[in-house]
Amino acid sequence: MSAADAHAGRRLGRAQRLRLWEHAVYAPIWRPLAAWIGLVLIVLTYIPLVWLVVMSFSDRPLSGIPHPLTLRWYDELFATSAWIEPMTDSLWLALAVGVCCVLISVPVGRAIPRLRRRGGVLLITLLPLFVPGLTMGAALFLFIRSYMHFKLGMWSVFVGHMVWALPFAFLLVIVLATRFDHRLLEAAEDLGASAWQRFWQIEFPIMRPGIVGAGLFGFILSFNELLRSIFLRGTETTMPIYTWAQASSHQSNVPIIFGLASLIFGVTLPIIGTFFWILFSRTDRGR
Amino acid sequence: MANALVSGGVRSWYTRAASGRWTVPAFIIVWTVVVIVPLFLLLLYSFLETKGFKVVWDPSFHTWDRFFETGRWTVAMRTLRIAIGMTVIELVLAFPFALWLAKGCRSQGLKAILLTLLTIPFFLDLSSRTIIWRALLGSNGVVNTVLMELGITSEPVEWLIFTEFSVFFGLAAPYFATMVFPIFLVATLIDDEYLDASRDLGANPLQTLFLVIVPLCLPGVIAGVVFTMVPMMGEWVVPQLMGGGKVNMIGRSTEDALSTLNYPTAASLSAFVLAILVALLAALTLLTRRRGGVAGLFEALKL
Repeated sequence: MSAADAHAGRRLGRAQRLRLWEHAVYAPIWRPLAAWIGLVLIVLTYIPLVWLVVMSFSDRPLSGIPHPLTLRWYDELFATSAWIEPMTDSLWLALAVGVCCVLISVPVGRAIPRLRRRGGVLLITLLPLFVPGLTMGAALFLFIRSYMHFKLGMWSVFVGHMVWALPFAFLLVIVLATRFDHRLLEAAEDLGASAWQRFWQIEFPIMRPGIVGAGLFGFILSFNELLRSIFLRGTETTMPIYTWAQASSHQSNVPIIFGLASLIFGVTLPIIGTFFWILFSRTDRGR
Repeated sequence: MANALVSGGVRSWYTRAASGRWTVPAFIIVWTVVVIVPLFLLLLYSFLETKGFKVVWDPSFHTWDRFFETGRWTVAMRTLRIAIGMTVIELVLAFPFALWLAKGCRSQGLKAILLTLLTIPFFLDLSSRTIIWRALLGSNGVVNTVLMELGITSEPVEWLIFTEFSVFFGLAAPYFATMVFPIFLVATLIDDEYLDASRDLGANPLQTLFLVIVPLCLPGVIAGVVFTMVPMMGEWVVPQLMGGGKVNMIGRSTEDALSTLNYPTAASLSAFVLAILVALLAALTLLTRRRGGVAGLFEALKL
C-alpha cells in the first residue's frame, strides 16, 4: 500500500466513497443496470467462442445444432496439411514480432517519460493504435509496393505487424516507466551500482510485467493479425489469412476451421487469461 | 563462455542504449519512415490518377470528384452511418458499465475477472468468431429452430442474418471493450472528494452526474470514441461475414480498388477514414490540453 493510498484512506473510507458514487449516479437503477449491461455483452462475446468449440464436434456444424456429435472434422483436419505451413509461418512471425517488441519497446519506452516535451513523441509513437488496420495496410502497401517497388513477402507482413503491435508494447512499458520512482536509481548510483546493475537489479524486476506483456502482446497480436497482412502478404499466407479465406468462401472447408480455431483458442486463451488476471489483480492490490 | 559473451553483448548494448541520447530520436526517425510517410503517401495518392494501370504524377481532384459521384459515396455514407450509430450505442452501454466497474464494483476479484474477460477477445481472431453467428442466426440456425419449435413464428426470421441489423449485432460485442477501457481508466482517476464537495454544495445526484462526473470523464469518452469508431470504419470481417456481401463498407471497396490496381481510389477511401480520425484526435487534444495533453493522462496513471 503506497503512501498516497494511506492518505486517501484517511480522508474517506471505502464504504463512504462507494456511497458517494451510488448517491451521485442513482444507485437503485445504476448498479443493477450497469452490471446487467456488462454481463449481456460479455455473454455475447463468449457465446461465439463456446459455440465454435461445440460446433467443431457437431456432425452438421453449419446448422448450429450440436447433434449428433463427431470427431470427423478433427480427423479431416489432421488428414490435410494445407494449414500446417501457414501455422508454422505465423508462429515464427509472431515469435519474431514478440521478441522485437521487447527489444525496441523497453529501451525506447523507458526513455520517453524522461523527455521534457513528450506529448508529440507519444502521439507519433501511439498513432498506429488509432489508425484502422485497413488504412495502415493500404498505406504500407502503396509505400512499399507502388512507391518503393519492393517485392512483398514475409518481411513486409513483419513490418505491418510491428507497426500494429509495438504501440501496445509501448503502452504497457510507458505506463510502468511513468510510475517508476527514479529516486531508486539515484540512490543506487550513490551507493556505487554500475549502469548495468541499476538496470538488471532494480529497473528490470519492477518493469518485468511490462516486458513480459510487451512480448506477449507482440506475439498474440501478430498471430491474429488479418487486415494488414492481407495487403502486405504478397504470395505468403499466415494463419488468419488462411482462416479468413476458408471462412469467406462458401466451401465445405468451413467445418475444418472450426476445429482449427478451437485448437488455437485452447492454446491462446489460458496464456492471455493468466497474464491479464495477474496484471489486473496486482494493479488492484496496488491501488 | 557463450553465455558470458551473450550477456556481455546485451550489457554493452543496454548501457549504450540507456546512456546515449539517440535512442528516442533514432526510433522516431525509423517510425516516421514506416508510419508517417506511408500515411502521407496515401493522402498524396488520392490526388493522383491511374492511366493504363499506372499511377500518373498529375495532381488533381479527379479521384475525389468521382468519389463523391459514384457508388463509393453511398458506401462511405453507409460506413459512416454504421460506425456512428454503433459508436453511440456502445457509448450508452459502456458509460454506466465503466463507471460502475471503476467506482461501484465492491469486489476487487470480480473487477479483475471482468477486466480479464473484456481484454481476452481482443487477442483472438475475429473471423472464426464471427462466422459462427451464421450458424446461430441463419434461417436453419439455432435461434430460428428454437423460435419455430416454440411456435413463436411459423417462418424462419430472415432479417437475423445478412442485413444491416446483423452487421450492427456482430459489431456490438467486439467493440464494447474499446469503449469501456478508456472511460474506466479516466473514471478511476476521479477524486471522490469532488463528489463529496458537490453534495455539500447542494447539488442533486443528476447535477453531480452531469456537471461533475461527465465532464471529468470526457477525455475518456473521446478516447473511447476514437478507439471504437475509427477501427469500425475500417472494419471488414464483420460486414463481410454478417452482411453476406449485401452490406458493403469502405473496407471491402478499398480491397476491391487495390486488387484492380486502382491505387488512387483505394487511397481516397482510406484518406476519408483518416480525415475522420484526425478530426477526432484534434478534439481529444483540445479536451485534454487543460490537463497537460495526452502525456498528462499517463502522468495521472502514476497514482
